[in-house]
Amino acid sequence: MFQSIKIAQGVNVHVNETTQFKTINFSFKFKDRLTPEKASARSVLANVLQHSNEVYPSHTALRMVLDDLYGTSLYIDSSKRGNEHIVTLNVETVNDQYLSEEGVLEKVLNLMYVVLFKPNMENGLFKESIFLREKQTIKERIESIFDEKTRYAQQRMMEHALPGHPASIQANGSLEELEKVTNEQLVKEYETLLNKNEIEIYVVGDIKPDMIASYIKEYFHFEGRDQAVEGLSTELKSPEESRVIEYEDMKQGKLHMAFFTPITFRDEKFPVMQLMNGVLGGYAHSKLFVNIREKESMAYYVSSSYASQFGLMFILAGIDSKLEGKAVKLILEQLEEVRKANISDVELGQTKALLINQLKEALDSARGQIDIYDQYMELDEAFEPDYLISKWNAVTKEDIAEAAQQLSLEMTYFLAGKEDDSVE
Amino acid sequence: MNKVQFEQLDETLYHEKLANGLEVYILPKKGFSKTFATFTTKYGSIDNHFVPYGEEEAIKVPDGIAHFLEHKMFEKEDGDVFQQFSKQGASANAFTSFTRTAYLFSATGQINENVETLLDFVQSPYFTEKTVEKEKGIIAQEITMYDDQADWRLYFGMIENLYKNHPVKIDIAGTVDSIQDITAEHLYTCYNTFYHPSNMVLFVVGAVDPEQMMEFVKANQDQKTFEEPKEIKRIYPDEPMEVAIKERTLEMSVQKPKIFVGIKPEVLHYSGKSMLKHELAAELAFELLFGRTSDFYHHAYESNLIDESYSFDYSLENGFGYALIGSDTNEPEQLIKEINHTLDQAIEKWPFGQADLDRIRRKKIGFFLRALNSPEFIANQFTRYAFNEMNLFDVVPMLEEIEVPDLQAAFATVSSASQRSNFTIMPPKKDRQ
Repeated sequence: MFQSIKIAQGVNVHVNETTQFKTINFSFKFKDRLTPEKASARSVLANVLQHSNEVYPSHTALRMVLDDLYGTSLYIDSSKRGNEHIVTLNVETVNDQYLSEEGVLEKVLNLMYVVLFKPNMENGLFKESIFLREKQTIKERIESIFDEKTRYAQQRMMEHALPGHPASIQANGSLEELEKVTNEQLVKEYETLLNKNEIEIYVVGDIKPDMIASYIKEYFHFEGRDQAVEGLSTELKSPEESRVIEYEDMKQGKLHMAFFTPITFRDEKFPVMQLMNGVLGGYAHSKLFVNIREKESMAYYVSSSYASQFGLMFILAGIDSKLEGKAVKLILEQLEEVRKANISDVELGQTKALLINQLKEALDSARGQIDIYDQYMELDEAFEPDYLISKWNAVTKEDIAEAAQQLSLEMTYFLAGKEDDSVE
Repeated sequence: MNKVQFEQLDETLYHEKLANGLEVYILPKKGFSKTFATFTTKYGSIDNHFVPYGEEEAIKVPDGIAHFLEHKMFEKEDGDVFQQFSKQGASANAFTSFTRTAYLFSATGQINENVETLLDFVQSPYFTEKTVEKEKGIIAQEITMYDDQADWRLYFGMIENLYKNHPVKIDIAGTVDSIQDITAEHLYTCYNTFYHPSNMVLFVVGAVDPEQMMEFVKANQDQKTFEEPKEIKRIYPDEPMEVAIKERTLEMSVQKPKIFVGIKPEVLHYSGKSMLKHELAAELAFELLFGRTSDFYHHAYESNLIDESYSFDYSLENGFGYALIGSDTNEPEQLIKEINHTLDQAIEKWPFGQADLDRIRRKKIGFFLRALNSPEFIANQFTRYAFNEMNLFDVVPMLEEIEVPDLQAAFATVSSASQRSNFTIMPPKKDRQ
């Protein structure tokens, strides 16, 4: 699918030449260690770089030139995977052939260069007003999680279950670390990002791989760099408390459960664990949905998810605040069914069919192609979807039961409505 | 079968209206491995007062019934339809809006089987008092979940402010109380009135052979018998141009206040090309006034009045619509004042010329072309347009036709002070100093 070309030590360009889309997509991924300090600083940096630059010195000027380039989308975001922190420059532009104007692509490439290499600086620092404004924006972004109670409950559970662990560090860092970020530190992080971070560059669209790779090499001239230094350990330690209940002024209770599994992304049993999660709670045919929602009418949403980077599985449900005990009992009963291999041929077949469908569908969007390839490249440079599909097809009920037996429940977190006014 | 080519877009659309009245559209997508299909009825939460099929007298049905019906379509005598789709490797879903109920799946194989399942399950209602009762617990939790979502409360609070009588002001899912009154008989009445093929559209987009798919759908429909199609009589109350409530505040568990300024458009019963032109012109006008490149945005962002949650939206349907501008903000009153001031200034002196229009038009064309990468966007938007007698693929030519005075004229229908309202969500008092 992707053709990979190394343009410098630690800098690779991966191109999928295709006419499937009406646009050309670029992703520049800058990878560093994940720590709360770095995550906070790099999130501010991402925002400062997408705010404006030397050539387009105000937010409005930059956005206007993007409008003129047929609404080319350009944004820089912060994300994390395992113990890596990733800053990504994402650009999507319309393929010239659908327009009555030519030369759009070259202008877009030039703009990407400007965004990365010509920041808006004054006396060796980022322009102070922009630095302060964007620091404020990241603060507001971190605080706004509180308004979405499902995300908030998940974050609270992780803070209780695995404090300081990469799994509980937010991609935007923490308020505490953000407070300490200085303009000087941001400049250092910027230099590290450009000169020391490993960079994976993805291009998807109707474009020649050699042409675009040599263009990026000549034009962006990234220096060679060494492998990134070791990150934080991702080893899992059982939390001290196994049940936490907190209260907010809300109507629905949010039940979140965390399990450990020794099977991670790098384990050969990884495809088994994906199926185990699917049979238990990944879909509308899964045991949790059928039993907790359809049979018991207790929940609108109830599902499980597998964080394979760390070997974690989560179960989430929105329930009446008074029914926590009953919900936990019913959920564990369903897990027990999986552990005993009480899985029908139909359930197994459905789960395989939907995992395969999900993978194939994701490959029908340029972003999906980039995300999947960027993730699986770590396992196998020549990643092909069929490889994963053949692994799933070989999984048996007994394999799934065995994986389920290795799960340990480590934390039950409940965010409940205030006790005095819980719903009827 | 009709075949329409859109050369500049490199797309070909196939269409046929079947003998039973069903409109079928097929759009093959080169290079895609998935197929996405929607089967949609022109029936949503606002259709709560109507003359049932075969009867004379209009009735009113409980709030939330269209959404309830959508949930119950999935349950059959022999089990749950999700199970069938999963066996065939398809992800299925459904949604109910103010004006539509859509059933959909996406799959990368067994497309005929999945299209058959989609058509058959939506065309074979099965409701009993027992299954209806059972669903009430699930939907009550769904409503409760939305009740805790501040952004949803803000949105609906705003719509309630704007509309005095029109049923758009009723929450799509109803309330925990209103759904208690729903019976199996109600569901059959609504089903028989609104799920006739002549009130529905099937859209299939992706890895399909159009000729084969059209024959397959026809054969499926030919096996079934339907009542004679009848014109559906929907009754909507009169709605004044002024807003129902000028301002309201609600306290919720949030970290920072949230506001919306809403504007109610003049009630204009547009359809077809005139609706498309009006809608696009209004969208362009709001983009210029409140978009990322506007003076308003620049000023509000740099002075910490708005943050990343800032949004603006313009939406128009036959008989109702709204423009919304809002954000999380530490200074709700100041932000409301500045939004109103921006509107007042534009009324007093229209600030935009040809160069502004050209730029924002290019942005809009690019956005549209990007969206055509998404089968979901095409199917959902095409259907919405079709129900209003518009064609999604006319968007680019229409954008190219629009002139500055069109923007001004569209803006004039959705801006005056009596058409505006605001809604604020505040954190609990004890948390504020």
